[in-house]
Amino acid sequence: MAQRQRYREGIFEALRLSFLYFLLVLYLIPFFLVFVNAFKDRNQIIANPFRLPSAFHLANFIEAFRKMNYPYAFWNSLVITVLSTALIVFFSSMTAYLFARLPWKFNRFMFFLMVASMLIPFQAIMIPLVKIYGSFGLLNNRWTLMYMYLGFGCSFAVFLYHGAIKSIPLELEEAAMIDGCSRFQAFFKIVFPLLKPTTTTVAILDVLWIWNDFLLPSLVLISPRNRTLPLSTYYFYGTYTSEYGLLLASLILSITPVIIFYLFMQRHIIRGILQGSIK
Amino acid sequence: MRKLAFFLIAALVFSAAISVTASAKVNITFLNSKGEIQAQLEEIAALYSEIAKDVTVEVIPCPVGQSPFEKVVSMYASGNAPTIAMVDAGDVKKFQDKALNLTGERWVQDAIPGSLDMATLEDGTVVGFPFAVEGYGLIYNKKVLDKALGKSFDPSSIRTRKDLQALFEELKNAGVAPLVISPLDWSLGAHFFAIAYAAQSPDPKQVDAFLKDLRAGKVDLQQNSIVNGLLDTFDVMRAYNIDKDDPLSGTYDRGSYLLGTGEVAMWFMGNWAWPQLSELDPEGEYGFLPVPISDNPDDYGNSQIPVGATKFLILDREQSSEAEQQAAKDFLNWLVYDAKGQDMLVNKLSIIPAFKNITLEPKDPLAKSILQYVRAGKTLQFVLDLPADHWRMVGAFMQKYLGNAISRDELLDEIENYWKNVK
Amino acid sequence: MVSEKTPFGKVGTYLLFAGPTTFAFFTVVILPFLFGVYLTLTNWDGLSATYLFVGLKNYRMVFEDKAFWTSFGLTLKYVAYTVVLTNVIAFTLAYLLTSGIRGQNFLRAGFFVPNLIGGIVLGLIWRFVFSNVLVYVGKRFGWELFLRSWLAHPDKAFWALVIVSVWQSSGYMMVIYIAGLMGIPKDLVEAATIEGATGLQRLRYVILPLLTPFTTVCIFLSLQRGFIVYDLNKALTEGGPYKSTELVAMHVYEKAFLAQQYEIGQSEAFFLFAMIVGVTLAQVYLGKRLEVEQ
Repeated sequence: MAQRQRYREGIFEALRLSFLYFLLVLYLIPFFLVFVNAFKDRNQIIANPFRLPSAFHLANFIEAFRKMNYPYAFWNSLVITVLSTALIVFFSSMTAYLFARLPWKFNRFMFFLMVASMLIPFQAIMIPLVKIYGSFGLLNNRWTLMYMYLGFGCSFAVFLYHGAIKSIPLELEEAAMIDGCSRFQAFFKIVFPLLKPTTTTVAILDVLWIWNDFLLPSLVLISPRNRTLPLSTYYFYGTYTSEYGLLLASLILSITPVIIFYLFMQRHIIRGILQGSIK
Repeated sequence: MRKLAFFLIAALVFSAAISVTASAKVNITFLNSKGEIQAQLEEIAALYSEIAKDVTVEVIPCPVGQSPFEKVVSMYASGNAPTIAMVDAGDVKKFQDKALNLTGERWVQDAIPGSLDMATLEDGTVVGFPFAVEGYGLIYNKKVLDKALGKSFDPSSIRTRKDLQALFEELKNAGVAPLVISPLDWSLGAHFFAIAYAAQSPDPKQVDAFLKDLRAGKVDLQQNSIVNGLLDTFDVMRAYNIDKDDPLSGTYDRGSYLLGTGEVAMWFMGNWAWPQLSELDPEGEYGFLPVPISDNPDDYGNSQIPVGATKFLILDREQSSEAEQQAAKDFLNWLVYDAKGQDMLVNKLSIIPAFKNITLEPKDPLAKSILQYVRAGKTLQFVLDLPADHWRMVGAFMQKYLGNAISRDELLDEIENYWKNVK
Repeated sequence: MVSEKTPFGKVGTYLLFAGPTTFAFFTVVILPFLFGVYLTLTNWDGLSATYLFVGLKNYRMVFEDKAFWTSFGLTLKYVAYTVVLTNVIAFTLAYLLTSGIRGQNFLRAGFFVPNLIGGIVLGLIWRFVFSNVLVYVGKRFGWELFLRSWLAHPDKAFWALVIVSVWQSSGYMMVIYIAGLMGIPKDLVEAATIEGATGLQRLRYVILPLLTPFTTVCIFLSLQRGFIVYDLNKALTEGGPYKSTELVAMHVYEKAFLAQQYEIGQSEAFFLFAMIVGVTLAQVYLGKRLEVEQ
């Protein structure tokens, strides 16, 4: 009886597994297509997108690398992404700490305002934003961009940190403060290290967002030497049609770093969300 | 402490010196809205920067999905206006309070008559440089036609709708798909349907009056013989369209692919498609056939193809220094009057120039065909004073018609209503 | 160390911890937003050096713009399908991937990957799939369903949008649901099993209720993404065929920049924002109420 039960369970598991893998294959087909077609030239791609390339030659990649000014673009993307994420993590965690520990009316109001602001469609503030900063001559500058990412990214980060901090018992900080720590020190020595999972989650999500972001950099960074990777891939889009082979190669060059980053970090995402969720 | 101060002062002086020498070179920016010539423009910019030793030209691409108008607006709003901006013909006048007055420039006298219309204000001030002349119609692949007809195809033999239909029928009988219609809103709305406006009269003032009447709701399109004639031709084209069972699925790439590989004999498109065709068939012979609007060979519109200056360069007067403005003007003059500049314009960018003095012959067959029509005086107006979203809205209506979702009457009603309500 | 109890101390503490963030938030989000609201009361067309104050005229024109309301209705339909499908699939995947199957981590990573490609790129790849790849498959195997490009018909194009959105977001929501499922105390589930509850009953009476806060968050996020979708809309269908799949954000954008009626586009954007806030506030409120009741 028990054996039959286990047998049945085994079949169920096998069924579930095969269903999941089948679904996964379907999910990843677009990636397969991007990868395969990046090795072909434009007309081959149009003629038959499914056929495997005749040879895995790297011509597209090499040309895309050159045209994108890859080293510069990569460096720009890296600097902007890493620094912006660091800013967001540093400042948002402190802010969330304040909101979570000191529930003053003003804090509650600000928290609500921040969460609500996540709903503002970017197009609604795009032109006013550009007009304001442009009139101060602050555009075409990587620092301005990073500052804007802080402004845009802090809401979601504060939201995540807020939940996480609430789940950390007060006693730890209270003990420290009785011993003479200022609140500031208590935060950095005790609370922040405990927030590692959430920090990881915030970092991953922000890196994904900022690395792939196109619209904001296209408005703020104007000259070619300031371009980030997504901006440089747009080089390959023509007015009516595109250099598909080069385009796909440039896409792969552009998102590979972030995929690698993601694969390294992915097991931490769940832990981070878990920590941020217990209110 | 004193060492530090000394060091700081030295650093300040040094950087000041650097910036002084750096500013001796004038840097101008050029916003390019023609994606397919981006690489070539950058080469030309680099070349010019070497030739004109104290000027550097930087080419900025217009991102896909953004109209040139929108990109320029956001650049002005951000205080980073490009020194030279390539905008669509219909947008030039919108920038009049930001564009430099170019009436005194030498090339104004050398511009092909009519090409400056969209860039000339009421008081005669010229604010735009006609950058590219383009034309469109039924592109035919001569090799395919010759083979199917068993003789050398003579484009002047097609002068009426009946002729065209007979040609389609012959092609079909010879086993060749006669044509492909690309269901793109801009192709159908801004180009195909615009023939109906341009063919109303050879006199541009009459055409303008017609458009004004449309806005005032005074035109009954159902009664207009030219509009109906054009749509009758469209119906003939639809019947022989290789995609007639699924007319809305095609893409621009499919069109160029089918024509370039010889799977169809004709494609309704313009000379900007040459780069795509040349990739597939660099030695091919191609030309333009007009889209006939009636069965009377002498009617205006049956032997003419729309040709016009579609892209203009405007120079910024609001945010650029005198030196930058002059450098920009010099660059334009170089393109028009310098032998190397002309060579770059015509051969590298594959552009038909809008200036009489440039006698260089273009190398591509489509440009050659257009020049033939221009020299014979057989052209329709390409660029008309259409509302900014005309191509999108009327293009959408034409798509519905192409896909058999609405009838001819409904199509004309929608177009009439659009004009009545447009800004 | 200054005491926190005094007003001065409070301000000091606030500035220390939240000063930079608040400043950045205000100058990057709130200020442009308010400026934008102000602009909707003028007739600035985005370009001219001058503009006039026109009061609420623009908002009146918003009501008259039939296409805006059509696209809004279409967006509601799109959001409804997308939110439901995304969350159902995400939850199912999460449930399956927390049951201790082999290769769980690998599968979890795999399903999240679609989320890594964004916006325009995503749309273009899928446009390629729908108009070239699927048609090729349809012709090769004679499958009617794929013979004609899905993007050429209004209904199928709409579903193409839904499918791609679900494809992209389900991995993200799945991860949140996994976190939620992992946080459910095992003893509660065991207790229910001992009492004779079937899998389905366990799901209904123990697991789902405990997941409510996560569900609320997921629905909030998928609503937000759904209402303001633009990049995907533009790149996949471009609102076609013949504008039948033009969702509201795309309509607003084109109104402002294509039809060059910037003042109306901006006003519509704010209108949209107000409506989104209304819907999501209602949703979160309901979610919190459900939570409390447990």
